Formats: sequence, structure tokens, C-alpha cells
Amino acid sequence: MAIKKEVYKEFEDVVGAENISDDPAIKDAYRSPDITVVLPGNTEEVAAVVKLCNKHKIPFKAQSTGWLLFAPTYDFIYLDLRRMNRIIEINEKNMYAVVEPYVISAELQGELFKRGMICNVKGSGSTCTAIAMSGHGHMGLTTSTGDRNDLATEWVTDEGEIIRIGTLGASDEWFCGDGPGPSLRGILRGGGVITKQATKVYHWPGPSEYPLEGLSPRYKLSKKPSELNMMVRYFSFPSIEKLIEAELKIGEAEIAFELMGFNPSMVSSNITTSNEEDFATLDKFTKEVQGPGFMVIITGNYDEDFAYKKKALEQIIKETDGKSLKAVEDPDVEATLLFQCTRVSASIRETFRAGGMFSSMMVQGQRYDNHVRWLEEAAVWKRDLIKKELVIADDGQQFGWGEEQGHLGHSEIFCRYNPYDEKSSEAVQKWMERVGKRALDGCFAVPSMGVLPVDVVGKKVSNYHIWFGKLKKAFDPNGVGEQTGFSYVGADSSGAHTSIYQKKPEKTKK
Amino acid sequence: MAIEDYRGDVEMCCRCSACKHIPLQKVKGVEHSYACPSIAKYNFHAYSGSGRLLIAKEMLTNGFKYTDKLLHIVYNCQMCGACDTSCKYAMDMEVLLPINEFRIRCVEAGHSHPALDKVINSLRKQGTMGPGARGKRAAWAEGLGLKNATKEKVEVYYHVGCLTSYDKNYQKLAKATAKILKKAGVNFGIGYENESCCGGRAFQMGYKEDFLKQAKKNMDMLKDSGVKTLVTSCADGYQAFKVLYDKYNLKGDLEVLHITEYLARLIKEGRLKLNKKVNMTVTYHDPCYLGRLGEPWIHWEGKRIPGYKFVFDPPKEYRRGTNGVYEPPREVITSIPGVKLSEMDRIKEYAWCCGAGGGVNQSNPEFASWTAMERIEEAESTGAEAIASACPWCEKNFNEAIKESGSDLKVYDIVELVEKAI
Amino acid sequence: MIKAERLAKIVGAGNVSQKPAVLEAYSADMSFVNTIKPDYVVKPRNSDDIAKLVKLANKTQTPLVPVSSGGPHFRGDTVPGAGGAVIVDLTKMKKVIRVDRFHRVAMVEPGVTFGELIPAVEKEGLRLNMPLVPRKSKTVVGSMLEREPVVMPKYQWDISDPLACIEVVFGNGEVFRTGQAAGPGTIEEQWAAGGAQKTPYGPGPAQWNRLVQGAQGTMGIVTWASLRCEILPKLEEPFLVGSSDLNKFFELIHWLIRLRLVNECLVLNNVNLAALAAKKWPGDYPDLKDSLPPWVLFFNVAGYDYFPEDRVKAQMKGISDITNRIGLEAVRAVGRVSAAEMLKMVQRPSAEPYWKLRYKGACHDIFFITTYEKLEGQIGVMYELANEFGYPASDMGIYLQPIVQGANCHCEFNLFYDPQNPGELNRVEELSSFAVTSLMATGAFFSRPYDKSARMIVNRDAAYVAALTKVKEILDPNKVMNPGKLCF
Repeated sequence: MAIKKEVYKEFEDVVGAENISDDPAIKDAYRSPDITVVLPGNTEEVAAVVKLCNKHKIPFKAQSTGWLLFAPTYDFIYLDLRRMNRIIEINEKNMYAVVEPYVISAELQGELFKRGMICNVKGSGSTCTAIAMSGHGHMGLTTSTGDRNDLATEWVTDEGEIIRIGTLGASDEWFCGDGPGPSLRGILRGGGVITKQATKVYHWPGPSEYPLEGLSPRYKLSKKPSELNMMVRYFSFPSIEKLIEAELKIGEAEIAFELMGFNPSMVSSNITTSNEEDFATLDKFTKEVQGPGFMVIITGNYDEDFAYKKKALEQIIKETDGKSLKAVEDPDVEATLLFQCTRVSASIRETFRAGGMFSSMMVQGQRYDNHVRWLEEAAVWKRDLIKKELVIADDGQQFGWGEEQGHLGHSEIFCRYNPYDEKSSEAVQKWMERVGKRALDGCFAVPSMGVLPVDVVGKKVSNYHIWFGKLKKAFDPNGVGEQTGFSYVGADSSGAHTSIYQKKPEKTKK
Repeated sequence: MAIEDYRGDVEMCCRCSACKHIPLQKVKGVEHSYACPSIAKYNFHAYSGSGRLLIAKEMLTNGFKYTDKLLHIVYNCQMCGACDTSCKYAMDMEVLLPINEFRIRCVEAGHSHPALDKVINSLRKQGTMGPGARGKRAAWAEGLGLKNATKEKVEVYYHVGCLTSYDKNYQKLAKATAKILKKAGVNFGIGYENESCCGGRAFQMGYKEDFLKQAKKNMDMLKDSGVKTLVTSCADGYQAFKVLYDKYNLKGDLEVLHITEYLARLIKEGRLKLNKKVNMTVTYHDPCYLGRLGEPWIHWEGKRIPGYKFVFDPPKEYRRGTNGVYEPPREVITSIPGVKLSEMDRIKEYAWCCGAGGGVNQSNPEFASWTAMERIEEAESTGAEAIASACPWCEKNFNEAIKESGSDLKVYDIVELVEKAI
Repeated sequence: MIKAERLAKIVGAGNVSQKPAVLEAYSADMSFVNTIKPDYVVKPRNSDDIAKLVKLANKTQTPLVPVSSGGPHFRGDTVPGAGGAVIVDLTKMKKVIRVDRFHRVAMVEPGVTFGELIPAVEKEGLRLNMPLVPRKSKTVVGSMLEREPVVMPKYQWDISDPLACIEVVFGNGEVFRTGQAAGPGTIEEQWAAGGAQKTPYGPGPAQWNRLVQGAQGTMGIVTWASLRCEILPKLEEPFLVGSSDLNKFFELIHWLIRLRLVNECLVLNNVNLAALAAKKWPGDYPDLKDSLPPWVLFFNVAGYDYFPEDRVKAQMKGISDITNRIGLEAVRAVGRVSAAEMLKMVQRPSAEPYWKLRYKGACHDIFFITTYEKLEGQIGVMYELANEFGYPASDMGIYLQPIVQGANCHCEFNLFYDPQNPGELNRVEELSSFAVTSLMATGAFFSRPYDKSARMIVNRDAAYVAALTKVKEILDPNKVMNPGKLCF
């Protein structure tokens, strides 16, 4: 469907002719055959576009960089927020930064480093938006996670109303996102478009710029991490129980800047620059590790601080029978992990390089030990798929990390596979459903969105889908807002699907 | 190779957007974080490396549809390879090669750009890509008594290049190069009217057959002349002879050097002495075709191993921009007494394009100029008085942009700076 | 008006009161809201009772006013805003449901006070991130629902902390659990699977707990809450810093929190610190106050399980580098107040009488959220106004609490007054009303608006009110929950 000419003209009047297109070539790049792409330049344009969508009952979807774009296959207005790419403010005294949606984490982080600060970066990497969103990231132990970093927010609702949440509405400032009274941060992630947001930032004890030398893809640090009061190690443990014990102790001791529950395949992906090198390195690592493990980054704010943290870490590892991976003790390898896992610049190596696709079951929140227990079962089923060569071989393990010094966490298990291999795709889809069902039946967790029908999940989770359906209906009465991907698939107050999107996803022809 | 041969690569794109930016650990903030001029200007995802691959994937699956917009996307790309380098930091897949092949497909299917057709007509008629070429190719050399490499034995063949030969504003570079080589006592010669366009830019523009014709013609001439070493002061020429000719198995044993590589060698060997002080702060612009795309071609033939991994037998080695020519130009600059080098944020394998490449100079001068202005502003931000480069196309584009904008920044080719110092 | 028998059928006859003295106690509080007498005070025993009460209220259009803490109340939110109300007094629900050291979480019913929970968590080696010396009858749930500032900013990652999950009966009578507690499974099933109702976000994309916090009971009634706990330090070294230079304090505080060097961290002026610390009244108070510098910063350095002495030593090194650079000195005592006794005070609720009432018998609080650079100006404005309205500045307590890991700062002016003295009472009432407006003009953010100014504060942003109203219409469509509060 192309939108009618006169309707197209209305959108064009808002953003300008050069910022709208429904040409097939443009649409192909967004992997969606039936969209009109609109590039708004500011909040008022976003609001005007959304209002037009309401007027003409055309659904819309907003996105910034669109990593692993979950493109719906129906007719909609695609709001590409690329032109909204400014850092509005960095407040060093109160430790927050205000960004528009197309500021990527790498850019914000670069600016913050100059000021001795750092922001949370989502696990998907630093090419993604710096807006807090719901993404958990590598540095969550220190930089918290997702929506918990939100402060004041400028938000365009699915009806096109501009709501200025917190101090923004009260006095045009950014330092608080809650009130007056109840906090509308509670409904931010149901829909609408965040057009500006203040996000908490944190102290960065590292250099204002990493002293990198060399050329892509092999950058090196010209200083050893120890010279920067930093240390990276990878420890494996004899059992998942010992790993959890160590993870918790490290969290409670508040000694780590970052703790990433990488499995060896993620370490080897991260430090290698080709698939072949990756697989060979993984082979080596697999022989050396004694079981599940994690990478930990210790940073010292000053010498004594660094010394204490290292001492405490050593003791914890001793108590939990941890074993250090020799390769990571090499300062060059250590350095690579250090800058890649703080700039979060190599997530793609960990996920896509091998086969082009991965499917992940992830869950956020309390990690020990309900999520861990559940994903241990998922891991057994994954290893079966590896044996049958339906997914890429790694050690089959789950991984995860603590957040906020271990109070919360992220747990995940993924399968890397070739999406054009029907057998693999089907097998992975079935695995996801099986793992999702187990999460519900075992009362472990709410499975990742989209794995199971939302009313099947919602019924077991305080009927949240019905409540959320009501919120959605109130703020999106015309049903034009975000309905897929990480957001909520429409349901009315009875819980039945009300998605206006009737088309089934098309299968990609080979 | 044709676009179909890159199906596996175009299918690998996961839309991570790394191709829009310089390698992420090099990002210092919002300023100067973009790598791709095309998406920086036109904003729709289609203009990025990823966008182009996704379009190719769609068209390989469902057939090619040549709309005006598609052709706007195709031809508004400087073929600078920044997307390729950024992507290959993390991924094992080709980006620029399928983009180039897509353009070649457009030309083959009769969807070329009229402005580029004009340039190619000039190439076919006169053997030059230089705009408005008139008269003799070697008119600049009159009275200099330079050897004719096709008639006399020489150690080095100096390939002048189209722009430097014909454009009165840039003939000074040829003269400067000749002066320097003479001063260093190099036994060199030029081709005079036997010199013909390297064809490199024709390839970038999508005219593969014209490129191959030029390549064969040039290699025949060089073989006949018995020359072992070719030196050029044009980055496009360098990349054509060094990489493209090798890709199509035409280069043979010919040693191909950029003038900056050769000068660096001469300075090291003590054959060229730079004595005069040149008090200037300069910043150096890495030409795309000397830098990340000047990396030697890797001959590889193999098959994808069936299965879920994107791996090959034998293992495929990727050109990732690591082995381009970055240091020699810098060595030459810093050898000049009095010159201070002040680096920009985007350099070496992640340098921002000057804007001229891929035919954009001719097909969309406004876009070329915009791209150049971004670079001029970046150069000015270093505090340098001048921007030095190693390619006349870069310098021409910078000069035109500076004229438009009224900036005070000076533009030099490295050979001009060296000439001042001898 | 509902018949008493219907209420008695739900909560038991002994838990329904219409006694005049009882009703009187809930018809007003120490704020300046209008007096409105409720029809009943009921004391539910469990969440079942509460759900039934709310359903009945919907059927009969009866306003409900939930109250979890005992008196005296100060904010006006527990005084009915409409006639015919039923006070839902939760003080009987006193179960400490669970304390879990491994997950660092506790779960309590709404009537559990700080005094009751602290020993329960301490037994497990845990501690609470508390508000500053709350009154004895203050409940943990009440405090968290009000988003009261807590004294350890380092451990407050989000303004909703330490609240984790809640079970709430929404205004329409339906029970909902937020965060991880939502499911799958019952709470017991979740425990069996290793769950501990720790995660505050969700379920789904919404963050439901945020809609109930700060709502002053207008969205529903909480029947239990889980909260994040921290571990008890093995070693604590408290310090005080005295100064007349607030800006130096802010610089120091910024780095103490930024580098995560301290646990408790707060600033009191001499008036407030003396009010807190004085043991014999009125004798001790004036001398104690005079012994103190205008401002006192209190912070506490802690070591945990691993080499606590080494940790404290390392942190002290960091702290002294900062204090030396700024030109301040951290000491063990300032005037006649020692850091050690300050530490004891802030880790417990107030002894009776409530410290804010000891000086003159009443206290009216004006509080808002702000940033460090605005504080000095805002304090200046308040002093000027106090002067204008004839309120003695020497009587005004000030409490500055960095919150949310230093992202902003809670600023509180405590106006002590004699409630028996009409002159003083009127003066404080007028001053507070004027002060709110004046302070708002300086960028003070009244995120928790109470009393008579609440409506004015909330209604300034029409779009915000419209959105809140939509939420209210979903959660409490018949508007039975505490009508007349906020913008409802």
C-alpha cells in the first residue's frame, strides 16, 4: 500500500520533501515493502507526524539506528529519527546527560570520557541509541540498567501529545523524572516516541581517551591496563554454583567495574578478527577452562583503591575455586578486552559474525538463582541442537551478569545460526518456545517478548497484558502506535489480540 | 565476479549501523563520528553501506527495479570504502565490492548517469577522465627535457594522471614531481602521449569494460617499455595499478608506488635531502584510494562451506583497510624542516572522504562540495593553516569548496611542500 | 453511607470504628488541609479484606483513604479530601513476611514500622536504606510509597529505591502484583523456583510501581511490598564536617558519592542537628545549637566482608585527598555532637517524642528536589521569606539530602512552631504557602506535592494532568481512592 497522494503531501508539508519517501529502493533498505519513511527533525515534527497518523489511522513505528530491525510487514509510517542527533546538555555536577534519540552510545561516551564520566551502554553495542531504553549492558554492575537511568523525559504519546515528564514539565530542567505525584516514567515504554531524555551517568576512572595505536581491526593500547589502574581477567569455575557464589561476592564487595558472564566463545569472538581465528581460539580456550566463567574488569579510582579491589578479588576467586584463563593475562589481550568491553564496540563479533543471526532468550532482573536454574535447562536443550549441527557450536552455556553490584542482573542464552537454513531456523524457533514455556510452567521468569503469545504469558503474570492493553488503549485510542518487537502486541481488555496488522510475515525467498 | 556472487555477503548484514560511523573505539564525541558522507547528507538508511546491501539483497531476490530514487542512491556514493572498513572491524563480509558490482550492474543494464556518460565518452575519445581536456597530455612537460619511458630505458615510470596532466591548476604538481625526482637523481621517464587514463575512476563509476580496456592498454605499453617500477602522484591511479590491475591479473610483476612512498624511500636512502625550512602547521588528509582502499589485492578463490557459519574453504582473508599507505605520507611531511603535523579526528583507515570519488564530482558537484566542506571544517578544527593531501582530485575538490565558503585554509599536495623544501 | 455491618462482615466487627474520638483523630493532621471527618475507620487484617473493601467502595461510591503509618501525620494525604470517606487503617497488618539475606531483600505488610523491621533484617546481616530518623509509627511501606529520600545515596540507583515489588489492590478492586512478583506463579511458587520478588520493573513494558509511588493512595491500596536491603557493614567509620561554606560541601559531596566512598551522606544545619541530638529538653538544645557551625555534613565509611579495614583505609585515603584539595576537614566530632552518636541516630527511627516535635510541639516541612548549584539561592529565598513573614530564621531547620546517587538533592525546610500559639501557626501556614510559589520560581521541583499547594503544583502542566488522569481512569475508574488529592 502506498499512502494516498494527498495524505503523503500532508506528511511532506511537515518534514519537507527531502525528508519523506515511499520509493521502493528506500523501503528495501528498511526491509519493509509497504512503508513510507519519514525523517523528522525535531519534537514538533514528530508530534505533527504522529497526529497525522492518528488522523488517517496509519500505524507508525519510530526507531533510531534500528539494530537488527524488527520490521513489521505491514503498511506503516516509519519514523527514522536520524536527524535528531544532538547532545543537549551534559551536567557534570549532577551526573546526567540529555540526548536526542539518534545520539549513539559511542558518541555520548566519547564526550563523557573527556569529563571523567561514562554512561551505560546496552549489550547490543555502542552503535545503539544512548537513550536509556530497556537495554541491559556489560557495565551494569556500575552503570545500572535500562529505564533505571532515566531522569526527565520529553515524550510524544501515540496520540501526538507532547508530555514533559518530571522537572522538564515543571521548570524546563532535566534533573528529575518523577512527579509531581506518581511518575509517568511508569508508562514511557508502552509506546510513543522519546524525543529527548536525561540519563544518569557515572564516574569513569579511565583515560579521557584510550591511548590506541594500530589500525583496524587490531587496535592496541599503547599502555598496559595496569598502568591505567585497570585489570581484566577471565575466570572459569568448576560449577555454575561456584560461579554464582563468586559473582555475588564480587557484587557485594563492590570491587568490580564490570562483570560479564561471557562464555569462552564470546571471549574468543571478542578478541579475534576473523571467524577462523575465532574458532581456533575457542578450541584452545575450551580445553583450558574448567566450567562456566565470567570476565571481570577492576578499575581503581586511585592506587590504594585499585590495590584493595585486586586483593579482595584474589581472595574471592580463591574461595570459589576460580581459575584464570592464561590468554587474558597477556597484557595485549587484556587491553583489547578492556577497551572493547567498556566501549562495547564488539558485540557484533560475539553475535553476528559467525552466522549472521542469533536468537536469544534473555531475561532481566533477579538473576540468582531462579533465572540461572531455568537457563541451565535451556542450555541442555541447546547442546542437543549443537550436537545435531543445527546451531553454531560453542560451549552451549548460558551467560549473564549482575547489575547494580549484583542486586539485579541479566541472564541470557543464545543460539547462533544461519537464518536462511530452514531446518536451523525452525529448530531454533522450537527451542525458544520450549524454553519460554518452561519459564512459565516452572515459575522462573517471564520469557522474552514475542516467544509465546502475549495472552498465554499474561494470564500467568497478573494479567498484565489486560492492564497494559487498557493503558495502550487510553494512550493510543486509534491503535497507530508501536505494536511489535520489544513493545506490546495489542490486546483489548479481554486479552484478545486486537492488532490491526493482519498480514503474516512473508518468507524470504532463496 | 558479479553482484550475484556476493549474495552471501549482502545477506549477512545485520543492520548494526557500524557502517555509518568510524570504528567505535575511535569515536570521541558527536563531532566527527560519521564515516559515510552519503548517509550523513541524505539521512535515509538506503544511503548507508548497510542500506545498499539490503537493497541488493532485495533485488537479488525479487528482481532489479531501477527507479530514479534507486539511481540517486547508487550514484550518490563516493565509493570511499569507509563503510567497508567500519563493518569489517567486527564482521567477515564484503561491503564495498558488492556496492561497486551493483553500480556496474546498473551501467550494464543501461542505467548509467548522464554526467558520467560524458566523462566516459571523453575517456573513450581521448584516453582521459580529466574534465575539459584539451591539447596534448604532456603539454605540461614541454621544455623540461624529461625522458620518454616508452623510448628510453628508465628506472622509474612516472604516471602523471589525467587531472594533473590536463588541468592548468594542477600541472604544477607534475612539474614539482619531476623537479623532485630530478633533484634526487632518479632515472625516470613519462609516457608522453602514450600515457592513458588508468581507468580506475571508470571502474568506480561502474564502467567495468572501459576500465578493462584502459588497463590492458596501459599494461601493454608498460610491458613494451620494460619498466619495472611505476610511480604515480594520483591516489586513484595508485589504486588502479596496484589493486585493480592485480585483481584482474593484469599487473604482473610491476612494482607500483605512490609518490609519497617513493619519496619516503628516497629520503631514507639519503638520495633526497630536504634542507629548506617550511614553517607551516599542516594536517594530512588520507585519500581513500591511497589509504584504506590502497591495500594490496588478496588473490583468493574458494567456496563457502555449507552450513550455518559464513566461512570458506580455503579460509578467506579479508582486506580490512589495515595495509593501506598511511605512514609514508606522514614520514615525508614530518621530514620537512619547520612543518608541524596536526592530525584530524578521522584519519588513516577511517578518514573522511574528500567528496570527489565515485564520479560524484561530476554527477553531483553540490554533494561533492558538501563532503569537502565537512573535511575543511575538520581540518580547521586542528588549528592547521593548511591541509595537505596526496591526490589531485582531493586537492581540487578542497580548493573548490574553499572558494565557495571563503575559508582561509590552504591546500597543498605533499609534492608541493617537498618542492618548497629542496 | 455504607452500613457498618457491611464493613464488619469484611474486616470483623472489632475492626470497624465510628467512635467520635477515633474519627476525630483522622479528620485532621498537622498539615493545613481542611478538616473533613471520615465516616468510619476500618482495620483490615489481610489483602483479602482490602480487596473486598475496595469492591464494596466501588459498588457504593465510597471514598477510601488508605493509611499505613500511625500518627501524628504531617502531610494531609491521610485526611479525607471528600465527605463520606472510610479510613482504611493498615496498621494491623504487621507481618514481616520474609527476610532473605542471599537475595538482599525483605517483604513486609504495610503496617510494619522501621523499628519493627530493622531488628528482623539485622538478624540476617542486612540493613535498610532509611529516611532520616523517621517517627516511631512511620511504616516502611508508607515511606517507600511516598518516595521519601533515603540517607545512603550511593545505594539509591533510582528514585523508586529501595522499593522493589508491591501487591496492590487497584481502585477497581482487582489485585495486581508489580515487577517480578507479577508472575509467573504465586509468590510461594516463585519462592520455590528461587524467585525473591526483587526486580522492580515490569511486568511488560510499563513500570507499574512508579504509578503507585507518589500517588498518595489515589491509585490503590498496597497490601505488601518487597524492598531491597543492603548488607550490614563489618566496620563503620563515621565523620562530621563543619563549615559555613555550602559550596565547598557540595563539591565534597559530589566526589564522595561519585567515587562511591561513603554510605550515609547528608547535611543538616545547626538547628536540625541540635534538634536531633539534644537529649535533655529544653536545656541541652540552645547550647548544643550554639556549639555547632552553620552547616554540618555527616558521612559514614564502611567495610564489608572482605578486608574491611583495608577497604576503609583505602576509602579514607581517597576522602582525605578530596578534603585536602577542597579545604575541609573530616573529624570525629563537631561542637558537642559526635559522629558516632550521629551514626547511631540515623540508623534507627526516632525515639519518642518524634525529634521534630521536641522543640516546639509541631513542625511543618517544606521540601522539594533541586540541584546543588541552585541550593544556595533557594536557601537565601527561604531566609528572606522567613524574615518577611516574621518567622525566626534561627528556628528553621534545614536538611539537605543528596539522592539518586547524587543526580539531585532533596532540600527540606523544617518550620518548628508551637501549635497552641495561633500567631505562630498562622505565620507558618502563610509562609509555607508563599514559599512554595516563590521556590518554584527558582526551579525547586515539588515532586511530592502535599497539603493545600498540591493541586496548584500538579495542575501547572495540563498535558501531564491529562496523562495522569488517563492512568487514574484505568486504575480507579469510579474514583473511590482518596478523592481530592493531587489533581483528582
